[in-house]
Amino acid sequence: MQSNWLVEIMKRAQSGPYIKEKEFELALIKRIRKLVKEYGIKYDANTLVPADDGMADRVFQAGLDLFVEFGAYCQSTERQILFSRDEVLDILAMAPSSVTLGTGKDAVVMRHRGVEDPTPATMHSGPTGTPASEKYHPQILLSCAQEPLVDCLGAGSVATYLGADIIPGTPLELLGARRDASVAREAVRMAGRPGMHINDVAVSLTCAGKMAACDPDAGLRPSDGILVSQMVELKTDFDQLSRVAHLYNIGGITVDLMTPLLGGLGGRAEGTAVVSVADHLLGVVLYDVDYHMFSLTHLNYVNNTDPMGIWTQAMVGQALSRNTPIILLNDIYVLSGPGTTELLYECAAGAMVGTVCGFNMQGAGTTGGFNRDHTTGLEARFIAETSRASLGFSREEASELIPEIMKGYIHTLSNPNRGRPFPEVYDVETVQPTAEWLDMTYSVKEELSKLGINFQYAPRPISS
Amino acid sequence: MSIPESIAKPLYDAFIEGDEDAANELTQQALQAGLDPLEIINTVIVPALTEVGRLFQLGEFFLPELMMAGEAAEVASKHLEAAIIVSGQASQKLGTVVLGTVEGDVHEIGKNIVATMLRAHGFEVVDLGRNVSPSAFVDAAQERKAHVIGLSSLMTTTRPAAQHTIQLFSELGLRDQYSLMVGGGSVTEEWASELGVGYSPDAAGAVELCKRLVGINPS
Repeated sequence: MQSNWLVEIMKRAQSGPYIKEKEFELALIKRIRKLVKEYGIKYDANTLVPADDGMADRVFQAGLDLFVEFGAYCQSTERQILFSRDEVLDILAMAPSSVTLGTGKDAVVMRHRGVEDPTPATMHSGPTGTPASEKYHPQILLSCAQEPLVDCLGAGSVATYLGADIIPGTPLELLGARRDASVAREAVRMAGRPGMHINDVAVSLTCAGKMAACDPDAGLRPSDGILVSQMVELKTDFDQLSRVAHLYNIGGITVDLMTPLLGGLGGRAEGTAVVSVADHLLGVVLYDVDYHMFSLTHLNYVNNTDPMGIWTQAMVGQALSRNTPIILLNDIYVLSGPGTTELLYECAAGAMVGTVCGFNMQGAGTTGGFNRDHTTGLEARFIAETSRASLGFSREEASELIPEIMKGYIHTLSNPNRGRPFPEVYDVETVQPTAEWLDMTYSVKEELSKLGINFQYAPRPISS
Repeated sequence: MSIPESIAKPLYDAFIEGDEDAANELTQQALQAGLDPLEIINTVIVPALTEVGRLFQLGEFFLPELMMAGEAAEVASKHLEAAIIVSGQASQKLGTVVLGTVEGDVHEIGKNIVATMLRAHGFEVVDLGRNVSPSAFVDAAQERKAHVIGLSSLMTTTRPAAQHTIQLFSELGLRDQYSLMVGGGSVTEEWASELGVGYSPDAAGAVELCKRLVGINPS
C-alpha cells in the first residue's frame, strides 16, 4: 500500500458523492437483493457447510461488485469513498497473507488459511464482547492467557474505573483503556508468555482511548493490535480512520473489526454473506489491515451459531479463502454462558465451520454480551481443541456433523442458558476451572467423540 | 365508505412486499376514486404494517423488509396526509415520540427498528439519530411537544449517558412532563426500574409500551 494512501482517502471522503445515510442504506438493501438473485446464491438449511466452489466464487464476485459500487460510507462527511475495480483488485493482491503477532518466543505467525486447510488455526481469546468487572477482569484474562493452545489475547472491556462509570470521550475512558492494557500485559506475563500478542483494548470507543492504551512498558506495543471498526454496513468515520493513522505512526498491527448483522441490511443469510465479503474488502482497501475479525451477529439472537449464521460463515470463509490472500479470523459469538453444555456445543459448531472454511479462531464471546463476567478461559481451550480435531474434515463431513452438534443447543436459541459467572466456575485464587465445569467439557468431548470427532487430547475420565 | 377489496388487497400487498412504487401509485388511485384517507390508513396501512411487525418479531422478516415497508408507508402517507388536510379531518397520530441513541454511542439499528415500528402504528416519531447529547433530547422534547422520550444504548459504557439524560430532565423540572423509556443491549429491566423509566426488550414491546404511556390500552 502506498504510504500516502490516507491522504487520498481523505480527499475522497470529502469529495465523493453526497448521500444521506438512510438513502445509502436503502440503496444497499435493494442492490444486495438484486446481486443475490443475479449470482444465484441460495441458502439451504439442509447443507449448512456447502461444498460448492462455484457458489463460493459467486459470493465473492457479488461482494466485490457491491463494494465497487458502494465503497465506504463516511459518516463524518455523509459522502461515499469510492474505489475502482482495478484499485480494489490491485490492493487486494498486495494484502498480507501472513503476519507475525507478538514478540520473542511467544510470537506466532497467523496465516491465510485455505478451505479444508490442514494447517492449525491461530487461536485468539479473551473476554471480547462480554463485559467484565474490575474485580474479576485480571483473573479472567489470566484464565485465557494461560491456556497452552491460546496464541493471542483480547483485553476485553471493563465498564468502570475505580467504581466510576467510564463514559466515552472523557478522561475516564483514557484511564480505563490504559488500566485494561496494563492488566492484559500483566496477565500474559503471569502466564509466562510476556510476548503474547494482545489484539485490542475494547473499552475504548474513541481513537483517543485506543491511543491511551499504547505504552511500550505497561500497555499495548507495536507487536499488539488495535481494532479499527466498521459500522454496519460498509460505514466508517474520521475517528476510525484516525486509528489507522495512529497505527501507521507506531507501526502497530491493524485489525479490521466488522460486525455484519444477520437479518440487518443484508437481510437473510445470502445477502449477509455478500455484504460480509464487501466488509472484508473495505478493511483491505480503506484500513490496510493486517488481519480481519469477522464478528457476524444475528439481529435477534445476538449470536452466530444459529443455522443461518453457520451457513453465512461457511460461505464468507470459502469465498474469501478461495479468492483472496487475506487472513481471516472468525469471532465465535454464542448465546449460552459458562458452566453449561450448551455453550460448549455452540463453541464446537463455530470452531468446526470456521476451521474447515478458512478461518483462524477467536472466542468465545458469550451470553450475547449480556451477562457480566460470564466468560472463562476454558471455552477458549475447548474451541482450540475442537478446531484441531476438525482439521482434516471435508466440508461435506462438517455439513453432516454440525447439525448433530447443534442438537446440543438449538432448542435454547429463544431461551438461552446464560450459565454462571467466572467466580462460580473457576477458583479465583488458583485461576483453575472447578471440577464441575471441567468435567462438563470432558463429558461433551466424549459425546462429540462418538460423532467421530477425535480430540488430540483424550478426554479425562469423568470424576465420580 | 369501505375500501373495495380490489383496491385494498393490492395496496396491502404493496406494503407487505415493501413495494414503494406500487404503494405510491395505488394510494393515489384510491384517493382519486374518492376513498376516505383515514379509512385507507385504518383498514389497509395499519393492518399491513402491523403484520410486517409481527413477521419481523417472529424472525420471518428482517430489517430490509421492515425498512422497505416503512418507506412504502412514508410515500403513501404523504398523499394521505395531504388529502386529510384538504378534507379538514383531524390527524390520527397516537402521540409524538422523540427517539435517539445516547451520547457516545453510534449504534442505531435497534433504535431505527423501533422508529419504523412506532411510525407503522401511528406515532409521530422525531428521530434524533445517534450520539445524541442530553440537552438535544430536552430541546427536541420541548420543541416537538413530545409525549414519550426513548433512549437507546447498546454499549455498557454508554449506559451512564442514558442516566445523565434522564437526570437532566429531572434537574430542569421537566421529568413529569414526559414519559421516558430506555432500551438497547446494555439496558436491563431492573436498571430501568431503578431509574423509574419504562423499558422494553424489543421493538414490538416498545410499541405496546408507548401505547400505554400515551394512555391507550395495548392490543
